[in-house]
Amino acid sequence: MKAEIKLALTMGLLGGVVVFLFGGWSVTVLGILIGVFMGLSIGGRVNKKDGPRKLALQSLSTAGIAAVVFIAVSLFQNYVVAPAGGQFPSELYIVIPANLIGGLGMILFTALTAALHGLPDRQERLGKLILMVVLVIAFPFIDRITGLHWSGQIIFALIFVILGLGLNIVVGFAGLLDFGYAAFFAIGAYTTGILSSPQHHIFMNFWLVIWIALAMAALWGLILGTPTLRLRGDYLAIVTLGCGEMMPIIFRNLTNVTIKEPLTCWIIPGIMRLFNSSAATKCITIIDNLDLTAGEKGINPIGRPYLPFIGEFQSNNPIPWYFLIILLILLSVFLIRRLRDGRLGRAWMACREDQDAAVQMGIDPVHTKLTAFALGAAFSGFAGAFYAAYIRGIFPSVFEFSTSIIVLCIVVLGGMGNINGVILGGIIIMGADRLFLPALKDLLKGLMDHTILPALTSNHTLQAVVAQNANPILYRYLLFGLTLVIMMALRPEGIIPSAQIRAELHADEETSAVEKAVKN
Amino acid sequence: MEFFEARQITKRFGGLTAVGNVDFVVQRGMIAGLIGPNGAGKTTFFNMITGVYLPTEGEMYFENTELTGMKVFKITALGIARTFQNIRLFGNMSSVDNVLVGEHCRLKSNFIHQILHTPGMLKEEANARAKALDMLEFVGLKRTDAEVFAKNLPYGLQRRLEIARALGAEPKFLLLDEPTAGMNPNETADLTAFIHRLRSELDLTILLIEHNMSVVMGISDRITVLDHGEKIAEGTPAEVQKNPLVIEAYLGKGSAEK
Ligand SMILES: Nc1ncnc2c1ncn2[C@@H]1O[C@H](COP(=O)(O)OP(=O)(O)O)[C@@H](O)[C@H]1O
Ligand SMILES: [Mg+2]
Repeated sequence: MKAEIKLALTMGLLGGVVVFLFGGWSVTVLGILIGVFMGLSIGGRVNKKDGPRKLALQSLSTAGIAAVVFIAVSLFQNYVVAPAGGQFPSELYIVIPANLIGGLGMILFTALTAALHGLPDRQERLGKLILMVVLVIAFPFIDRITGLHWSGQIIFALIFVILGLGLNIVVGFAGLLDFGYAAFFAIGAYTTGILSSPQHHIFMNFWLVIWIALAMAALWGLILGTPTLRLRGDYLAIVTLGCGEMMPIIFRNLTNVTIKEPLTCWIIPGIMRLFNSSAATKCITIIDNLDLTAGEKGINPIGRPYLPFIGEFQSNNPIPWYFLIILLILLSVFLIRRLRDGRLGRAWMACREDQDAAVQMGIDPVHTKLTAFALGAAFSGFAGAFYAAYIRGIFPSVFEFSTSIIVLCIVVLGGMGNINGVILGGIIIMGADRLFLPALKDLLKGLMDHTILPALTSNHTLQAVVAQNANPILYRYLLFGLTLVIMMALRPEGIIPSAQIRAELHADEETSAVEKAVKN
Repeated sequence: MEFFEARQITKRFGGLTAVGNVDFVVQRGMIAGLIGPNGAGKTTFFNMITGVYLPTEGEMYFENTELTGMKVFKITALGIARTFQNIRLFGNMSSVDNVLVGEHCRLKSNFIHQILHTPGMLKEEANARAKALDMLEFVGLKRTDAEVFAKNLPYGLQRRLEIARALGAEPKFLLLDEPTAGMNPNETADLTAFIHRLRSELDLTILLIEHNMSVVMGISDRITVLDHGEKIAEGTPAEVQKNPLVIEAYLGKGSAEK
């Protein structure tokens, strides 16, 4: 019972924090999402034999407490925080339905999701699947109707989910610490840019380009992996970091590419010179002074996907983009699962666990690690192609070290080797970065301008300091770091650890004690 | 030619000669014992057979193939598999997956087959899994242990799982490095009987490093004794037990006398 109350308060407050920033209809969307999450959490610990009806009833008290906390925060936001930030509170005709649907939605979805756990295994899985599908499909429409406009940023988060899934192959499955993953994201994006922009007068179809981007990223995974994967652990990390640093510099500088045909330009003249002949040959230049990447200016505009009935995807309508990236994620998860559950996936994990032992069991380490590197890179090709088309322009600075680190954070936060965890990790981290922090910034700015700064007029230096530093975006990386440290301290297994890993992490101390006892 | 032969094999680590000029022959179907005090060079000898260490001098042959200089994973594919003195299972993988990793070199499917789920790949996986489960049963793990992480198994079962994993590679020649280390007398007796079964039921040739004298004397057809990297004696258990050099090596060092 205690645990239930703790869960209720945490969830209510967690939702409250978000609602605190966004206000308005966000209470409805958050209410439903948190309800599902709570249902999953409660359902995970209950007794299956109780049956769906009893489980639903059991979850009601928890959901009720959470909903009360949640709505209290929401109302506080609307009537206290918003006016203090210089905004008008939402009108009653929004406040009442939004909070009502949010609170009831939270309770209803908690009960519904908890009840699913009481069904037989197959039906439970089917039920959860249907629930997820409905939520995922409904999200962009609800987002549009309620005027929240989160979709655009959520699409960014989903791009990073694909990157996380790809890096998870390298780090989570094969245990190769890669600090330069953004390099492959860059290759996917630049491939797309070069093959579908007026800059080069090439307008390849997006549906084709995305596969070329995938292949190019994989190819570069092989090229960069071949020399580096001989190294292990820390050394590999340093070298991948170097490769990641190189990539933006290379793309910055590929502004006048000249390729000469070697036979006529160097070999034949060289031989001529040997014989002291002065007969001049004509040097054939294949590519002359080509501006491949346009340096800092970047490539833009980049072609966009086109579908019959929908037409060309537009910036002002995120819905087709949203479904495209969802489709790409589904495809990636499908492929990654198949890779994991088989001979190659086992070889990856064996190398992660103990490379020397794995090799003595007959595993070719170079081949195994290279496939992990190349296939991991391949998925960033998807992400890169989508990104380039979605943004319509690409610039070298997007692919710097910080991007690699964010993707690594997503993998670690989600739980290394755990596909579902990485998906959730990506949404949480990028959601925080793209939605939460900017909203927090606006809120703080509002509060500053209308309430806090006027109160500080007596002390001008303090006022200036506060005004300058009240921007959470400045502390972006500090917050990332803090999240990571807290996570590692509290939940090293990631946000949703697979049952197996959780059992193992917590059985760890016991096992080793038993081992010692037996050995003595 | 012999089933396995090492000629004048030597391994030096800087100034230390871990194994020096050892000639060593194993015949098919034998259980050969390799004994010697701690630090005698036994594990180093194993590491040269499996290709982990390149011998400083000398060469080794397995069924007419020269092993010296061959890649480690290719030696496994030839039919030589081992266990480790200090258990080296893949801790965060299930028992059955550990054995499936052992089977790796006998399976053929690649990542394209895996993505497409080709009928051949699905059949191979199903067979491999069935075989792995059989193997677990053969070494004495319960059906319920199959999905348990290797690191969560009790110590005795971990030792057995290591053998199952090695058997997954369908070896002809099995190298066991102190398989009874850390076991109580009951477990030791069980394992000794099990090693006999390995030879009779799976038609294996076994090379066994063992500290426990009663085990190694009772089980081996032939015993080789190393001390400071040198071979000091060789012969049947009875012969070796009487050899004054052996007695001195053990009692003089005062080690491993059990
Ligand atoms: N990789 C290594 N580098 C340096 N010295 C080693 C290495 N491996 C083993 N040795 C040394 O070689 C000697 C033989 O070791 P080992 O083969 O493990 O003995 P044991 O007979 O107990 O298995 C020891 O003195 C050990 O310290
Ligand atoms: Mg040893």
